[in-house]
Amino acid sequence: MTQVSVAPESFEMVFYDAAVIGEVVAEVAERLGLEETIKLEIDEGSPLGRSKVTSYDPIELWVDGGALENTKRPRQFGTARTKDTVGRLLLRILDRRSGRFDDTPADDDLDLMQFAAWDVHCVGRLERLGIGGQRQRRLYQFRNRHGFTDLADSAFEKLWESSELSWTEIERISEGCRIS
Amino acid sequence: MRKIFPAEELARDARFIRQTNEQRLGDPRGARVAGGNSGDRLAKLTPELANGPDRARALMHGIFVGEIQALEGAGRTCWDFEVGEDVPLALKLDMARQCWDEARHCEISVSLAEHMGTELGEFAENGLLYEAACNPDPVLRLTGVNRALEGLAIDVFNTMKEFGNLAGDPVLEFCEDWMLADEVTHVKMGSDWLRRLTENDKERLDKALEFQKIVDRLFSFNGFRGEDDDSPIQLTRRFRELAGFSDDEIDEIADMSRDARVEAAS
Repeated sequence: MTQVSVAPESFEMVFYDAAVIGEVVAEVAERLGLEETIKLEIDEGSPLGRSKVTSYDPIELWVDGGALENTKRPRQFGTARTKDTVGRLLLRILDRRSGRFDDTPADDDLDLMQFAAWDVHCVGRLERLGIGGQRQRRLYQFRNRHGFTDLADSAFEKLWESSELSWTEIERISEGCRIS
Repeated sequence: MRKIFPAEELARDARFIRQTNEQRLGDPRGARVAGGNSGDRLAKLTPELANGPDRARALMHGIFVGEIQALEGAGRTCWDFEVGEDVPLALKLDMARQCWDEARHCEISVSLAEHMGTELGEFAENGLLYEAACNPDPVLRLTGVNRALEGLAIDVFNTMKEFGNLAGDPVLEFCEDWMLADEVTHVKMGSDWLRRLTENDKERLDKALEFQKIVDRLFSFNGFRGEDDDSPIQLTRRFRELAGFSDDEIDEIADMSRDARVEAAS
């Protein structure tokens, strides 16, 4: 059974409910087969969309309040956005635990291209699980990092459609289409 | 058909959610601006930023709803005033031409949204542009919309064009360049009509320029649009000159932004 603790427990600047957030995070975790304690820290004062894993074991996540926001209705909680944000972070944790990502640099040492490529691989899998999506948005981000070329689009397809790539394969695909 | 159509009654389908100015300015985290937030010290919008592509998407959506409102505003100006007693026919013809441009910009913006992976209505819409287009004096309306807001559009389009150039995205770069050319024309229309309609009316000219300053200030949260290298949106001096702004007027906008930045930082 997934246990989620959300900090803060109540919000002053946004209209979020910690219990609802906990339920959404637990739902995503369970869909991904993660049944353990998850700690989620939210900076409600920031409307930006940053997010990161602060601890892989035990699982601790940190996000800007904006990463959980409904962009149509500022300051309101967005379920779909939250699933996308949390789903990507949890998949990264699962990837690192899988043995296929043992040679992955620490998160702080990844460059924007590496992050973009890994994100594509994560979100493609999330979409097939019915969590998140926004394929074209991810393609646009990927193109910004790897170039607006047919080669980059082909690399995107591989990352998006594959179900279980290793870090070495992700890096090879990313490096293969970078603009020199 | 009634004159001066109220902003809150503009037709939108269920995809669009309107955010009032009170809601926008009352956000304790700072108002949304330039695809980012005025509460933070926003960096210049470039693809190298971690959130650069997402900020560009949000800004492009803001441009899109701005184009819809600019179309509605120019259309209303064709209807709200009588030829002869209020405005010359040539002014209405200019506004009709602007409607044609804005409609084309809407279509380009829809295509760009698709290109960038943005759903129409994905971000909240603010109605300030159309509200400026509700001024009952045609001179003040054209000054507020065509000089202040379309002037800001020049700066925004140029920033987005540079973003596309840096990212190696020819679709974004060329679309912004074409729209930018139209915006310069729209601002020039505002400058020309301001001069012609107030030629012998200093008081009206002063009122119009004061209204322009008010609108400019409303869009200068934390001085996000300026001439400093790190300004999120770059003030585009050359295109403003082409659009009929004097050096003093451009200096004044740059000073206003600089003051707002200093105030925000203190």
